[in-house]
Amino acid sequence: MRSTIRKARFASLSLAVLLGTVVAGQVKDADLLKPDPNDFLLYSGSYDSQRHSLLKQITSENVGRLQAKWMFHLTGAKDLEAPPIVYKGVMYVGQYNRVHALDAATGRLIWEHFRQPASVGWQRGIGIYGDMVYMVAQDSALVALDRRTGNPIWEARPSQAGKRFQGPMPFAAKGLIIMSGSGQGGGFIEAFDALTGKPKWSWNAIPKPGEPGSETWAGDSWQNGGSPIWVSGSYDPTLNLIFWGTGQPSPDFVGDNREGDNLYSDSIVALDIDTGKMKWHFQNTPHDVHDWDSLEMPVLLDANFNGQPRKLLLQANRNGVYYILDRTNGRFLRGVPFVSKVDWMTSLSPEGRPILAPGHTPTVQGTKTCPSTAGATNWPSPAYSPDTKLFYLIAQEGCGVTYRSTTNFRPGQGGSGTAYMESPDDRERWQLYVRAIDALTGKKVWDYEQVSSFHYGPGLLSTAGGLIFAPEQQGMFTALDAKTGKALWNFNTGGLITAAPTTYSVDGHQYVAISAFSNVIAFALPEAP
Amino acid sequence: MSTSTVTRTVRGFVLLSAACVLSISLHAQRGGGPPAPANAAIGNPAAIAEGEKLYNEACTACHGKDGTGGELGPPVAAQNRRYLRRTDPEIFDTIKNGIAGTQMPPFSAQFTDDNIWKLTAYIHGLRGTAFDTPAQGDAAAGEAIFWTGAKCGGCHMVKGKGNVLGPDLSNLAGSRKVQNIVDALTKVNHKIVADGGTHDATIVANTSYQPVRVTTADGKVVSGILKNEDSFSLQVLGKDDLNLYRFKRADVKVFYDPESLMPHDWDKRLSPAEFQNLLAYLTRLYVPPPPAPPARGGGAPVG
Repeated sequence: MRSTIRKARFASLSLAVLLGTVVAGQVKDADLLKPDPNDFLLYSGSYDSQRHSLLKQITSENVGRLQAKWMFHLTGAKDLEAPPIVYKGVMYVGQYNRVHALDAATGRLIWEHFRQPASVGWQRGIGIYGDMVYMVAQDSALVALDRRTGNPIWEARPSQAGKRFQGPMPFAAKGLIIMSGSGQGGGFIEAFDALTGKPKWSWNAIPKPGEPGSETWAGDSWQNGGSPIWVSGSYDPTLNLIFWGTGQPSPDFVGDNREGDNLYSDSIVALDIDTGKMKWHFQNTPHDVHDWDSLEMPVLLDANFNGQPRKLLLQANRNGVYYILDRTNGRFLRGVPFVSKVDWMTSLSPEGRPILAPGHTPTVQGTKTCPSTAGATNWPSPAYSPDTKLFYLIAQEGCGVTYRSTTNFRPGQGGSGTAYMESPDDRERWQLYVRAIDALTGKKVWDYEQVSSFHYGPGLLSTAGGLIFAPEQQGMFTALDAKTGKALWNFNTGGLITAAPTTYSVDGHQYVAISAFSNVIAFALPEAP
Repeated sequence: MSTSTVTRTVRGFVLLSAACVLSISLHAQRGGGPPAPANAAIGNPAAIAEGEKLYNEACTACHGKDGTGGELGPPVAAQNRRYLRRTDPEIFDTIKNGIAGTQMPPFSAQFTDDNIWKLTAYIHGLRGTAFDTPAQGDAAAGEAIFWTGAKCGGCHMVKGKGNVLGPDLSNLAGSRKVQNIVDALTKVNHKIVADGGTHDATIVANTSYQPVRVTTADGKVVSGILKNEDSFSLQVLGKDDLNLYRFKRADVKVFYDPESLMPHDWDKRLSPAEFQNLLAYLTRLYVPPPPAPPARGGGAPVG
């Protein structure tokens, strides 16, 4: 009897070895530089942040037959903002203080790692490099775990006192894990050795007195901090540069104490990946008083612009302007509003600096401005399709009323004492759209109205199947025709969605996955098991 | 709104809505009447004004103006919210010590206990509703106006009596301030604007009471209240038959009426005394929250 069981076990073991898909090999730089379309290794899928997948089993012709294949519930989680990442058939998903490794074809749990305390904070997912996956802990630690078991390997913290990591997915590139956050003295970016966790360099968004840019902060206002960096960015290996956005100066809506441009707040910065030295910066909103963080994902594109082959950087900014920059030097090439109402500026200078319209400084009584502080768009990721040459973004039409504190800002008094509301005018109510614009002119090509979604939620995914996967804040997971914006398929996930979708392939079957509130749901065509 | 043409319809329709965007399922933070204040700052106008200043300096960035919610924190005083921390000592403790495992920091280093009580008094005041300060007047006479004179019950329900087209008003005084109720009776489209930073906790019901007219392919028309919609479907409560309808958006034409079904001239339709009496009735509509569940370990054994 015993020997029979042993034999049976041995038989099933050898069968597993023979038939099972072995997840072997480390995630190497080559894998990240030219990702296998079957995997989804980065927050934006690739270093250019186009969020475009070459997978095309699911197409505009057959997407109507897409089915839910599995669902995994993250008990106690909510507001998941993590795009699941996938490496050789294994999915990693989580938020602060938790990681789950799943069989990406079945959703079965392989391992999980929890750190105390249980947390539901907004955090944008798990990084992967070598044999490790990287989790962000709410106590401001970067935690490396073995990707096969979840065993903790090392922990790192910001090397500068008073700084804290925020929620971006740890960004793996060139042997580094790049993190960011805010704290005393303002936002920062810091790179760690991916294998050992040793700090390599850090860059501060707010220069100290005497450093270049410090002259753009009146008095000692630089000490108030701000310019938090809570979304990751993009990487161009040929230029050896990373491109990151930075957040608003502090206090958000009160500029009296901080006369000047307040560099490098609300900017796109290009840093040398080896040293962290800034090569160039472009400030979208100088001396911002509307909380228009420049943390919308910068998308890299090589294209002919005005007849010249150019290395471009594209960004639909929270302030309502779609920017095209030359990413070799940060030079402004074009800026066009991408929402119908942008009333805080009259135009852009040849250098891309906004010429302000009067009457938009926040007051105690409230000041109306379009777009609202929520932004013409926000951190939910855009996408670019090389097939349609369209840039896809989440547009929020509408205006807002911005208030400042009833008293003057006093340094050291905590928060910024301000708020913003939707405009009470019904003609300026908030409404979200998936908007396709010509990537090189910014001209609108089509709109898809996300009915009942009034506040930013999820990001987008483009595929070579001619599709834009566009989840809606109110829980619908929708596939649009990339050319026309026509809805071709939808599924009601039943939970608020604030994450961007990912796609991957296992055993020849393409899947599309979305984190929806506290669940991850994977979809495929009926042929998939 | 959507791609449809917006049209205006004329309705001789009697409807009382407390505020365009209300749902009355809220449980007030009190049980059976206001408890004795835990600190002298509670209910003290000077302390509350001080608390508002402190709140605006330290709290609005996360919790929003007037406690209506912000980018990083939940509303501390929004309508329709069920609070986890309901008593004054609980609010005080949260401000002083923070909430472990969340982004809520302790403020013990920044504020004295005295100032934390002022903040607590301000938040307590923000959460106050009509039940705390009911309007003067003859509530019994107001009740008669509600049911017979103004026929509010033609649309609204109070404790199981009345109709279902408009919001249920059983706990109106426990969920709305007096001024909200006056506005609902006297203002056109008294909409409550969204706070900019609010992150909805989850999918919530559409409580806009948006009037719609839906025309089907075969020419049938259903007028009613929009219960929900997305890009693919609509859910409508029919005005005339009070049936729930479901439509595929692709199959119908939808007209969104810009004006609420709720008449907004009750201050003119009624005499000042009648209006005051109606207000006295409405500001006393209250359902106390259910008793707290038994503490863990108590109650019936689990089999």
